[in-house]
Amino acid sequence: MMKTLPRAAAFLVIVGGLLALPRYVDNPYALHMMILLFLSISQGESWNILGGYTGQHSVGHAAYFGVGAYTTMMLLQAKGIAPWFGVWAGVAAVIVVALVIGSICFRLRGPYFVLASIAVAEIMRLSAINLTGLTNGAEGILVTDLPPFKIGERVVTDFMTKVPFYYLGLALALLTLLVTWGIERSKLGYYFQAIREDQDAAHSLGIPIARYKNIGLVISAVLTALAGSFYGIYVGFVDPPTVLGLDLSVQIMLIAIIGGMGTLYGPVLGSLVLVPLSEALRSNLITDLLVKSGLVSADSRTGQFLKENLAHAHVLLYGILVVLVILFMPEGIMGFVKKLASRRRKEAV
Amino acid sequence: MAMLEISHVSKFFGGLAANADVSFDVEAGSIMGLIGPNGAGKTTLFNCITGYYPPSKGEVVFDGRRMNGLQPDRVCKLGMVRTWQKVRPLAKLSVVDNVMVGALARTSSLRKAREMAMEQLKVVRMEHRAGFLAGGLPIGERKKLEVARALATGPKLLLLDEVMGGLNPAESEEIIQLILDIKARGLTQMVIEHDMKAIMRISDRIVVLTSGEKLTEGTPQEVVSNQDVIDAYLGESHA
Repeated sequence: MMKTLPRAAAFLVIVGGLLALPRYVDNPYALHMMILLFLSISQGESWNILGGYTGQHSVGHAAYFGVGAYTTMMLLQAKGIAPWFGVWAGVAAVIVVALVIGSICFRLRGPYFVLASIAVAEIMRLSAINLTGLTNGAEGILVTDLPPFKIGERVVTDFMTKVPFYYLGLALALLTLLVTWGIERSKLGYYFQAIREDQDAAHSLGIPIARYKNIGLVISAVLTALAGSFYGIYVGFVDPPTVLGLDLSVQIMLIAIIGGMGTLYGPVLGSLVLVPLSEALRSNLITDLLVKSGLVSADSRTGQFLKENLAHAHVLLYGILVVLVILFMPEGIMGFVKKLASRRRKEAV
Repeated sequence: MAMLEISHVSKFFGGLAANADVSFDVEAGSIMGLIGPNGAGKTTLFNCITGYYPPSKGEVVFDGRRMNGLQPDRVCKLGMVRTWQKVRPLAKLSVVDNVMVGALARTSSLRKAREMAMEQLKVVRMEHRAGFLAGGLPIGERKKLEVARALATGPKLLLLDEVMGGLNPAESEEIIQLILDIKARGLTQMVIEHDMKAIMRISDRIVVLTSGEKLTEGTPQEVVSNQDVIDAYLGESHA
């Protein structure tokens, strides 16, 4: 009780600040970074419900992200259906996909479940490439014009700036946090964690494990699909490798692993590390810093090499980061912070 | 009518009969001891009764209801719950949360589940451990946690798989008292145990298994004086 109040107050202050931010910041790049952050938080939180709380380490979450993104974009392009209607078709589609995947994959445990989840996501990716009539194949779907969003006759937004996307992204991130918070405080959360800790023990205590795994999967998949739909309309373009690729599945998972699996704020911390890192790599910021600091000369062979390759090295660096996290903070950043805090408390006593 | 009727239960793994044609009844309110050398099929029988394995042959009837083919969660909801020989704490959850998982079989309210869980922790005298992580408990308390968690599901029949295994004499004595307390509350129990003194003290009846088959059944006195049992435990040369 003592801790809840200041924590809730801090949360409200941060959310209030984020709500007010676009009034003071109109730099599109800064807003873009915030939107990427929100997207990453929603992906990580969604995965965390199944992977972190229920202990089912899916390496195929791109399947749900992609189905959400594709359904919304296909309906928009082919039928001109506005995304705020299309997204519900995406949600419906993903529930069907999740239940099919769940009924197959949840027969398997541990590494076998992981392999099956990869396989299913790859099936989705290859289908998207080859069902050209439906998905436009490898070319992907490009829709840059969104219809204006109206309530009655009043135009709420025409999506010409990044601001409406900023608020949509924020709402999505908050939704995933809220759902996770609710799960933690309900029977669902207890049952999910019991299944994670010991499936057989959970089963003997009256938990229908197959049903609860499927519930976890559906919640996780629906939230991931919402993130996918949001990505589609924000970027205006989807193709198989970007929304259905194995890379994406791994990235989604890393957000939670690095931040701290099975914790409410873990994926937020993971996003705060990964989003700036991948952006710094992509924009060659790290090479520029090394050159400016005089450590590496821009004309030297090392400098040239870094400039050419570092931007594409994010997967390599993610790999290194995961190894470091697993070696030095197996419970993620969140677990590391908690450990430090409890050590300090012990010393204080 | 007996609370649990096991009739002609067999369980085959390939050609191996882990249980072969085992039959006995457990009367309501009694304690049934289940003994036998290692590999006699005691835990396999527990698994067959609680839904982890479907019996290859035979029938398990609990409280007048045929249990064959029911999943463990259904078995638990119907009032039969087991503990594990190799303890299975939910390591990253606190002690009270572990017991709450059991209590949630009876209620969806976390508040009620917490009350029930604290009640069961009192029964096993572990209230002071409520906030500890289950993974950090010593073996004696892990065993008691197993019992508290199982009791929290509100069973009619409790199946205890070697709850005294690995405990020191003082801890074993505490478990014996606990089992007798549970009996006094009217619960039926079936107990697998290697500690002969303990099983003789607590059991109303005892079933002896060897190589998957029922060797004999009777009161503790009948069982200890049975020549087949002495042979099975000590070898025939001692006969």
